[in-house]
Amino acid sequence: MLYFRGCTVREKLPRIEMATKWILEKAHIEYRILDDEECCGSFLLRTGFTDDARDVMASAAEKLKGEKVIVSCAGCYNTLKNDYKDLLGVELDVIHTSTLFEQLIKDGAIKPKKLPVNVSYHDPCHLGRHSGEYDSPREVLKATANLVEMENIKENARCCGAGGGVKSAYPEVASKLAQRRITDALETEAEILVTSCSFCLVNLEGACQNPRGIRVMDLSEILLWALSD
Amino acid sequence: MNTPMDESEIQAMNNSFKILHERRRKLLDNDKTGKLKERVRGIREYSIDHLEELKVEAVEKLQSNGIEVVYAEDSKEALTAIYALVKDEKCIAKSKSNTASEIGLTDFLQDKDIDVVETDLGDRIVQFTEKKRSSHPIGPAAHLNLEEIAQVIREKFNREVKSDPQEILDMVRQDVLEEIAHCNVGITGANSLAAEDGSLVMVHNEGNISLVSLLDTHIVIVGIDKLVGTLEEAISVVKLETIYATGKTAPAYMNVVSSPSKTADIEQILLNGMYGASRVVVILLDNGRSEALKDSRETLLCIGCGSCIVTCPVYNVLGYQFGYDRHLGGRGVVFSRYVRDKEVCFESGLFTCTLCGQCTLDCPMEIPTNQLIEKLRSQSVKSGILHQKHEETARKIRKDGSPFSG
Repeated sequence: MLYFRGCTVREKLPRIEMATKWILEKAHIEYRILDDEECCGSFLLRTGFTDDARDVMASAAEKLKGEKVIVSCAGCYNTLKNDYKDLLGVELDVIHTSTLFEQLIKDGAIKPKKLPVNVSYHDPCHLGRHSGEYDSPREVLKATANLVEMENIKENARCCGAGGGVKSAYPEVASKLAQRRITDALETEAEILVTSCSFCLVNLEGACQNPRGIRVMDLSEILLWALSD
Repeated sequence: MNTPMDESEIQAMNNSFKILHERRRKLLDNDKTGKLKERVRGIREYSIDHLEELKVEAVEKLQSNGIEVVYAEDSKEALTAIYALVKDEKCIAKSKSNTASEIGLTDFLQDKDIDVVETDLGDRIVQFTEKKRSSHPIGPAAHLNLEEIAQVIREKFNREVKSDPQEILDMVRQDVLEEIAHCNVGITGANSLAAEDGSLVMVHNEGNISLVSLLDTHIVIVGIDKLVGTLEEAISVVKLETIYATGKTAPAYMNVVSSPSKTADIEQILLNGMYGASRVVVILLDNGRSEALKDSRETLLCIGCGSCIVTCPVYNVLGYQFGYDRHLGGRGVVFSRYVRDKEVCFESGLFTCTLCGQCTLDCPMEIPTNQLIEKLRSQSVKSGILHQKHEETARKIRKDGSPFSG
């Protein structure tokens, strides 16, 4: 198995990489990481640099073809799963970590103990609306904590504002959107808002100045917590 | 980007949207709406795939019904044609029309010293404000709260007005009725145009279109994207539009105009202009729509309900700043590329969309706006119209395979 971290995790959020590695090791899953892992092409694709995206994708496809790939970031997942097929005609064998985690729990390979915390789940657009994956992360959360849902979830989940290059070009817009999503979470009893996209995580955390001190975590982090002795 | 909205306007708009969204929720989930949606989707798909034939058929049928037709390639041609019809008028009455706004009709006429009386209450209020911008295609004043509206009315009429919706309505109605009494020409849009019958369907709740369309000359500005085959199809389209726009299954009024007002009650001699307009002129507008059909086909499926902006996360924080004129939200951004050009499209928010896909889910025609925007971004970048930050990041990725390098 090949663990594709994605740029944000690799360079900005090593804590997600650490958590994911720990979980894979606890489940006795053999995996490797590319020494020369590069961008999946998502950013280029979404911001109009299509020719550059094709080059980057073609080069990544060479490294990923024939491998069973797991991905931490919802944006990378959508790109590797859907855009490589649509744009390059390359079908990669790729799953998101939430799907793998759900499977590992179901198979008994890992046995999380239920944490006494209320968590809410933010569906990343790339994993939810664009890839139709709503259930796996929720199954993982049900096994690790007490899931309390926000009003707008699954296909109606309000976008956190980070995607489509908006965070880099219009950070104030991205931040306003994230604040609205945090407000959605504050309307629940949740102490932690969990997501499964590194890009959502960065953006939501940045908007997380709130009196109740709600925290934002990646799915891998809360799962690792529930696996700790 | 366009002029920003104030925080209070954003707040008022989101409150309006929340009420609207709650009201229509049940209706959108029911099977009958689902079936109507499927039927209308088929009607719109067929219509845009047979647009050329429908255009020819509509012009022939309208003319044989006694309606004059001007085919306008762009807004300039449309304005020239309208000016020729109204140049001797001091004022004209007008109903709400996104297409009239698109060609800049009100500003154009006022520059020529022809007063424009907006008859829709929301439009009239917006017309009195400084920014003159509307925040929803059906509810143009959705971003103004009662107190703000009362203030606008006080300033306009220069007298004390209570912050009471009924009192505001009474004042505006009185004023509009007095103004209309001096008008000979009424200008409206149309929600749908049935080619086979040469019939124009107009939807309204206030009754204003009935008044405006009964003036001596009735000018109808309609985009070629409003064409469908039959009158029954047109009714289906506007019914669905009403459901998605207002949460009601039918509007208060649907006017169908298929000819000037006429009678043959005296020895079968045909006379025009009994109670309604003796002259009806249709301005059939392309203004980039044919190009949009080739390049971003699905954008022409739009039935104008405004559902896409109600839940758009970007629209919820930016309001009409995200979109072009009355073509609001992401779909409006796409449309601006064809109605105007690449620069205007960029300014309207080509790179402000997060591509989240919520609008497609809430659109009765399921217009894949995020995909259309991605495609337009690609074209825009190729022609050098792009965001500096994106270019810097793209350079890093090209060089080092990561957006965070160097």
